[in-house]
Amino acid sequence: MDLTARPNPRVTPDNRPFWESCREHVLKLPWCADCDRAFLPPAPVCPSCFGERIDWRAASGRGTVSTFVVVHQPWFPAFADDIPYNAAQVELEEGPRLTSSLVEVANEEIAVGLEVEAVFDDVDDENTLPRFRPRRRG
Amino acid sequence: MDFNPVDRAAIAGIGASRFGRHLPESQLALGAAAFRAALDDAGLERSDVDGLAVNLGWPLGLDYDRIAEAFGLDIRYVNQTWTHGRFVTMALQQAALAVAAGLAEVVACVAVASFTRERDILGGPGDFEGMREEGGTHAENPPYGLTAPAAGAALAYRRYMSLYGATTDALGEVAVTLRSHARRNANAVMRRPMTLTDHRASREVVAPLRLFDCCIVSDGAVVVLVTSAERARDLRKPPVFISGMQGIRAGRDEFIFAPPGLGINQQRPGRVTPRPEDGDAWRMADIERDDIDGLYTYDAFTPLVLFVLERFGFCAPGEAHAFVGGGRIALGGALPVNTSGGLMSEAHVSGWNSIAEIVRQLRGEAGERQMEDARHLQWATMWGDSIVFRR
Repeated sequence: MDLTARPNPRVTPDNRPFWESCREHVLKLPWCADCDRAFLPPAPVCPSCFGERIDWRAASGRGTVSTFVVVHQPWFPAFADDIPYNAAQVELEEGPRLTSSLVEVANEEIAVGLEVEAVFDDVDDENTLPRFRPRRRG
Repeated sequence: MDFNPVDRAAIAGIGASRFGRHLPESQLALGAAAFRAALDDAGLERSDVDGLAVNLGWPLGLDYDRIAEAFGLDIRYVNQTWTHGRFVTMALQQAALAVAAGLAEVVACVAVASFTRERDILGGPGDFEGMREEGGTHAENPPYGLTAPAAGAALAYRRYMSLYGATTDALGEVAVTLRSHARRNANAVMRRPMTLTDHRASREVVAPLRLFDCCIVSDGAVVVLVTSAERARDLRKPPVFISGMQGIRAGRDEFIFAPPGLGINQQRPGRVTPRPEDGDAWRMADIERDDIDGLYTYDAFTPLVLFVLERFGFCAPGEAHAFVGGGRIALGGALPVNTSGGLMSEAHVSGWNSIAEIVRQLRGEAGERQMEDARHLQWATMWGDSIVFRR
């Protein structure tokens, strides 16, 4: 195991549709077909009604920053050159919160409540990470 | 027949190894030193111990099987949890329930932490738990470089600052207060004076948290011996009774480092604390919040102290950042917190160092830290579990 490599998402049977749609530059969320609610993290059952009919639907990609941090500690060798870098939780319009990072904004400009939209970062041939940038007006 | 655990079990002995950083002793050597000290404190023999409770096993500490094998014990009851500080309460509760139910006569809660040797698991590529399916338990998310428990506390405090206008100086008040307690504790690892200015000048780790918002990474061991109330009364030291308890909370409104309602991960936002169920331990002990003379908590990061105060209703949501100043959580204040210095300044023995301090305080053995006339002390964590102790 290469401990200097950039960690990739851990694809599981439950989250595979999420990461596969990211490859297509589409943000999808699991919806419960019974109670019609989106939820995260992905799971084989709805946390509201325990229903098993999960429907993956395209999300708007819009949300607001609900919280964020700026990492200064060089925990990961692969991120050493990025320090200080941000990570954020984004509350999506559909309700669930997604952990991600923010681009096209200086760390000093990030604030809770910042309106953002998803962009897609093809980090390698197999992995695409959704990130978020400040939403453009008009 | 109703099973009533109130005051059925008691702490009869406490013992500790030395605490320090980069100690040369093995985990077994640290554990043995604490075990020996606890037996001596209680006036019990090694052969009296027939139960083990462990919340911090491999790789940070000792697992039950090696403890029993190496120390030559004959064990008939074991409880060992997932290796996390959050299970201190559960280990102690299970010990109390086991002796109350007759599953064991004397349960040794054995906590060994060799954090300095194993620090790579605390964040970064060595933190394999961060790659747990659907993310780490403190919101770690390695593809985004989000790692280490500190990041979870930082996510929570950033949102708290935004909602309530809190500043990082409130965290400094916590760090400075706990350091002032450690300065009255000869066994504490960190005894250098700390001021708010020092806190402001410490390096950023994961903003908004600075180095002095993070507990020390240290090595040490604590053993706590739990037995029945009847037996404890016949032993060397006055019993410290376990009078009320409540378990760890979990669900979509829970995030390990944010009180319900803050809005981290999938928590529903709202000013919901304190909730009736967060007072279960007081009701079991037949006391009220105002009867608590001191609060002991898992202070791995300074925001957790603010959050536990709000979760348990010592402060309303958004008020703890103002409450922690003015000496209110210091010895002699309205609600002293972690009077031996806690994880922040005494040592990180997963909180068992604070359990031992509760026992010392209720026995009147706390020396220059001794609180006046403390009757009820509470161990409570911001993830909602608790034990009420009385003398």
